[in-house]
Amino acid sequence: MKTRIKELRARYNLTQEDLARKVGVRRETILFIEKGNYNPSLQLAHDIAQALSTTIDELFLFDVK
Amino acid sequence: MKGKKEIIVSIVVVAGVLLTLFFYLMSAGEIEINQIVLVGIALILVGLAMYIIWDRIRNVQKGLPGKDERTITLSHKAGYYGFMAAIWSAVFSPMIINPLFGYEPDGGDVAAIVVLVSAFVFVVSYLYLYRKGK
Repeated sequence: MKTRIKELRARYNLTQEDLARKVGVRRETILFIEKGNYNPSLQLAHDIAQALSTTIDELFLFDVK
Repeated sequence: MKGKKEIIVSIVVVAGVLLTLFFYLMSAGEIEINQIVLVGIALILVGLAMYIIWDRIRNVQKGLPGKDERTITLSHKAGYYGFMAAIWSAVFSPMIINPLFGYEPDGGDVAAIVVLVSAFVFVVSYLYLYRKGK
């Protein structure tokens, strides 16, 4: 799953560590979500979207089958 | 606070394991090759556990959680692999040891092998999944 986390982090001038601190996870978790290696829970996806002032739909690019 | 408590408990457990190994080696007298192998595996496990603890301490010091939903999921997956390894090692270790080393392992040997193999598989698969991301 592709995400726009990196792009939005850059817009708000946030590092991975800043975002991790905001949503209460480890920095590596943000890294793996950005790389598409880890699918977050719905709660974490919601928290990240809120921290980046966006919605889950705009943050995560789902493959439409 | 909860994370700090878990780290302290982990450090106490690791210290306890090291002390137990130390007293075991001191009282063992003449040490055989299979004992060296078992103690070696235990020491490797302690080293890997210390790495995981150090990683958690590093995160807590930065104000980040020691564990989160990803590491908890990894623990569950690694636990499953460790459980499978425990079952298979209990079944196959007597079959493998007898032709290879020429003696019938008793219950204590098999129990030691099961504990060490499952712990080894747990730690190695945890670290592999940790590096891979999921």
